[in-house]
Amino acid sequence: MDRLKLHSGIKSRERKRLFIGLMFLSPWIFGFLVFQLYPIIMSLYYSFTEYNMFNPPQWIGLDNYNEMFRDDKMFSSLYNTVFMALFGFFPQLVYALVIALLLNQSVKGLSLYRTVYFLPTLVPAVAGSLLWIWLLNAQYGLVNQMLGAIGLPEPNWLMDENWTKPSLILMGFWGTGTITIMYLAALQEVPKMYYEAASIDGANKWHKFWHITLPAISPMTFFQLIMGLIGSFQYFSQGYVFADSSSQAIGGPGNSILFYAIYLFQNAFMYLKMGYASAMAWILFIIVLLLTLLIFKSSSKWVFYGGEK
Amino acid sequence: MKKNYRKRSFHATLLLVLAFSVVLSACSGSKEGGPGKGGKVEIQLWSSATGDGAKPIEAAIAKFNESQDDIVVKTLSNQDHQKQLTAISGGNAPDIIITQWNNIGPWSEAGAVKSLEEFIKRDGYDTGQIIPAALERMKVDDEIYGLPISMSMANKLFYNKEVFEEAGLTAPPETLEELFEYSKRLTKKDDKGNITQMGFIPDYPWIDNVFWPIIFNGSWVDENGKLTANQEANVKAIDYQMSYYKEFGQESIDKFKSGMGGLQTPQDPILTGKLAMIIGWENWYVDDRGEGKDVGVAPFPYPAANPELKGSGMVSPIAMFIPSKAKHQEEAWKVLQYLLSEDVQIQYSIDFGSIPVLTKALDNPKLTQNEETKVLWEYYESAKSPNLKGFPNSIYINEYLQTLNEETEKALKGQLTAQEAMDNVVNKMQPIADKYKK
Repeated sequence: MDRLKLHSGIKSRERKRLFIGLMFLSPWIFGFLVFQLYPIIMSLYYSFTEYNMFNPPQWIGLDNYNEMFRDDKMFSSLYNTVFMALFGFFPQLVYALVIALLLNQSVKGLSLYRTVYFLPTLVPAVAGSLLWIWLLNAQYGLVNQMLGAIGLPEPNWLMDENWTKPSLILMGFWGTGTITIMYLAALQEVPKMYYEAASIDGANKWHKFWHITLPAISPMTFFQLIMGLIGSFQYFSQGYVFADSSSQAIGGPGNSILFYAIYLFQNAFMYLKMGYASAMAWILFIIVLLLTLLIFKSSSKWVFYGGEK
Repeated sequence: MKKNYRKRSFHATLLLVLAFSVVLSACSGSKEGGPGKGGKVEIQLWSSATGDGAKPIEAAIAKFNESQDDIVVKTLSNQDHQKQLTAISGGNAPDIIITQWNNIGPWSEAGAVKSLEEFIKRDGYDTGQIIPAALERMKVDDEIYGLPISMSMANKLFYNKEVFEEAGLTAPPETLEELFEYSKRLTKKDDKGNITQMGFIPDYPWIDNVFWPIIFNGSWVDENGKLTANQEANVKAIDYQMSYYKEFGQESIDKFKSGMGGLQTPQDPILTGKLAMIIGWENWYVDDRGEGKDVGVAPFPYPAANPELKGSGMVSPIAMFIPSKAKHQEEAWKVLQYLLSEDVQIQYSIDFGSIPVLTKALDNPKLTQNEETKVLWEYYESAKSPNLKGFPNSIYINEYLQTLNEETEKALKGQLTAQEAMDNVVNKMQPIADKYKK
């Protein structure tokens, strides 16, 4: 009954248009179904199986998920990942905002500064990591030479398990150019009249920043938070390259830079535990989903669009 | 009419796009092989070798193709472990794969590798002619799944002659205890207490969980499937390495290590003399070692209390196997045998700079009196030692090695005792080993 209604509801010309539209979309629809939806569904299925890529998967129910809760390495990889998000991504976000605020001033040579801060983001992750491995070399690296010159301790960045994550975080600051540029664009969108009105009311710089700038750019912060958190949980290349450089195993010294995505990769392609790796991927998905929902939920309290919450 | 035509051609274009994307996704399924020109059977051989490293196998296969009229082997190099894995799991397997020996364990247990037992029995193939330590690596649960084509060996000590001379040392150390004493004499510090030169670093260039236990006559699994990584010999092997960290200090060594140049680069620590001694693989410092050169070669030291362990060393072969889904297994088996014939083995090890896996080839004057291979003469001789060993192959081999690595690292850093570290390994790995036990 409903179907009939639907059918007669669409005139034949509209049907034709719909058909053409779908035809245009078909390469994408096809690609999505075959290369994305199908693998996603299969990975859900595999997560309930023991599967080594050669033999047919064996159904083992929730065993993979149960094992995850007993797997110390999984927890330490999760800890490392959360550490990077908390002490890496958040400070980097603040840093990018500060730089954007500075770049938003009218000083001489501004376009040069903007270029300089953006340039590092053009370097591919692996190449940038290899460069930083040299900068952070304990004996000859520039970073330690500078620290030594002002009498500070010179940590063994890449081989001391207490310093490997800070190394990666330090490098991360270098690559915040994209966030900076986007913040800069958002800052320039803030209507000047707000500041003028505030000046008349006698607001100082801090008041203006806290009550005008920050709320006005909150949609950008919202966007960066979500993208950044997702990115943090997928952190892989830099850690992989750093671990490799210290000629240790895949997780770096003391597994200190064994991140969730790296441990997942290790299970899948080194131990051939595709089922377990799939279960890990789904848990990762759930964590990211929950965090994103949390940010969305809270956004009504702190994200403002055109003066309204 | 015209409008209609345009519309139709428009639809046709869209359909073409759709068809194209279908074709694109389907073309990975195309197959090769089958009878080629002139009734010859064409088979595929994949190897993980790249660049110049692939030439020896290509040369050997070219000779095989000339030598007979039934089979044509096509070689494809640069097929790394990831590509091999994709091909054999996707049912698109070549007929022969040349790969690292430790892939045989996981892949065979997963049913991707053809057992060679039935061929060996049927043809009465003599596996006794193969160096036992190399053949052993091809076995999983006592069944032969592949054959070695060449092998690498770590059973020597390389040392910088000039650094030795400066320190007044005239002969290389013979025992492990001497090695430690030499290291003390060869280690220098500057006035700030930073190490500027070291005698020996037991875990440079990597933590070696196979080499060291072998030197102490350790093992990893017994015939009942019980893991033995925590037995006395294995623990001693780690204790010995720890003694260096205790003597020279964890932080000092780490800092010194981070400033050493990379292995086999112009800043190589052995060549620059920053490091006096290193474990000696046959394919390291090929142009710099031997008579009249900078790097000296000696047998690797043994524990003074166990002189019977003289000549111990680790063997790491390159494996050849037939995927169980290969279409031309009989032909592939013939090729494997050809690659293990004496002349081919000799030429291959000359070209590749490796050690042949046939015991009889080790005495062949084409190798032992060939000036071109002079740098390997000592290795040919020591490849006969009964004290050569390697790590047991199994489905969980990579996980076992990784776990050993992680726990050994903790011990070297002084976070655990050697015994605790190895107990951890066994506690973690025994359930996994039991799971796969037949």
